[in-house]
Amino acid sequence: MIEVNNLSFARGNTLIYKNINFKIHPGELLLIQGANGVGKTTLLSNIVNFIDPLEGSITYNNLVIDNYIASQFFLYVGETNFAHDSLTLNQNIEYWLSIHNVKFNNSIKDKSVKYFFEELNLDKKFYQLSYGQKKKLQLLLLMLVNKPVWILDDPLNGLDDRTIINLNNLFEKKLENKGIIILSSHQNISLNNYKTLQLT
Amino acid sequence: MINNFFKLVLSEFQLMLKGSVFSFVLYCLLMISCAIFALSLKHQSVGINAQLSFLYIMIFFISLFKVEKIYGQDFNEAKIHQYLLSPFSLEIIVFVKNMMIYFNLIIFFIIFSPLILIILNIDLIYLLKINILLALSLLSIIFISSMTASITISKSNKLSLTSILTLPLFVPILIFSMAITDLIDFNTGKMYLFFIAYFLLNLAFSPLLTSFALKKLSA
Repeated sequence: MIEVNNLSFARGNTLIYKNINFKIHPGELLLIQGANGVGKTTLLSNIVNFIDPLEGSITYNNLVIDNYIASQFFLYVGETNFAHDSLTLNQNIEYWLSIHNVKFNNSIKDKSVKYFFEELNLDKKFYQLSYGQKKKLQLLLLMLVNKPVWILDDPLNGLDDRTIINLNNLFEKKLENKGIIILSSHQNISLNNYKTLQLT
Repeated sequence: MINNFFKLVLSEFQLMLKGSVFSFVLYCLLMISCAIFALSLKHQSVGINAQLSFLYIMIFFISLFKVEKIYGQDFNEAKIHQYLLSPFSLEIIVFVKNMMIYFNLIIFFIIFSPLILIILNIDLIYLLKINILLALSLLSIIFISSMTASITISKSNKLSLTSILTLPLFVPILIFSMAITDLIDFNTGKMYLFFIAYFLLNLAFSPLLTSFALKKLSA
């Protein structure tokens, strides 16, 4: 369970948000919504411990989230791309799986690629992909790295309808397996049951 | 974990190979600058020191440029976020990257060094000794440059200026390198130990400071 208590964050002299409270249990999804600049990405960064809050606490299974907890249990996919332009898609997948200490399995990789791309030449260089394809490659991590908590910053941005449906199916499976998903998005997701946090 | 560490090293090696074109360009520029320097000294008889000092300063700049470029590319915000969530600590990733930059630069230097020595009018009997001297000192130069680069790529321009504070750390390398070249045939084994000791010192604090700067200044 992730529990956020009285969380506040300030950048310089500007208070971004104040007294945020919520609890998410295994098998639940939290959708963070709000206008541009209200602090959705900042809140996600706080949860994953990339930045320290001004006040308040964030715990995972009653443990304060530090670098160790975050690296063991959390998977973060942000808005900007992390792949290396000069490497091929295959090399990129291998690189990031080794960074996440995942044993490389070709059949799982092929299935995951097929799930998102239908057909893709993995010998292409990363810079040769379109924006949507680059985004999909980032989301491949969700299928290849097994961590219980997914933190996703605007994952639906730039994706086609078919991929959005696939991604929603993936969310459903994760929740069935008692995973936790926290995501920020301007769009609504097509799941039946999820919590919403509206930032103002 | 160990298997994946070797995979990580292999992937970093691939990345290093992709960045070799930039190193090649830098070494070509080094040869041009050496040629201009040698031409400017053609009517004066100077010892080996002037040429070697020039070579050292150029290698120092090459290392700084190379490390800055690699760090700018490989440590943007999105990548740092993934590195922070990796079971490998950021210090280990920094160490592997630094070592790969080192191998990239030193291999190019070993290839280019006969040509550079000829251009600088340095006797080729010094080739091996100069290569050893540079191989030892470049390790420290790369690790110090990584601290400079990690501060420079921070989001805050004001903090970027603090990278100047790391520059005095290069001074002992220059002083000792020149001290060694003052001796007849560079012949004193104990002086070389300084570079190993200085590298071990850098190895102790440089990855820590670099990863700290990357974590805090990119947040």
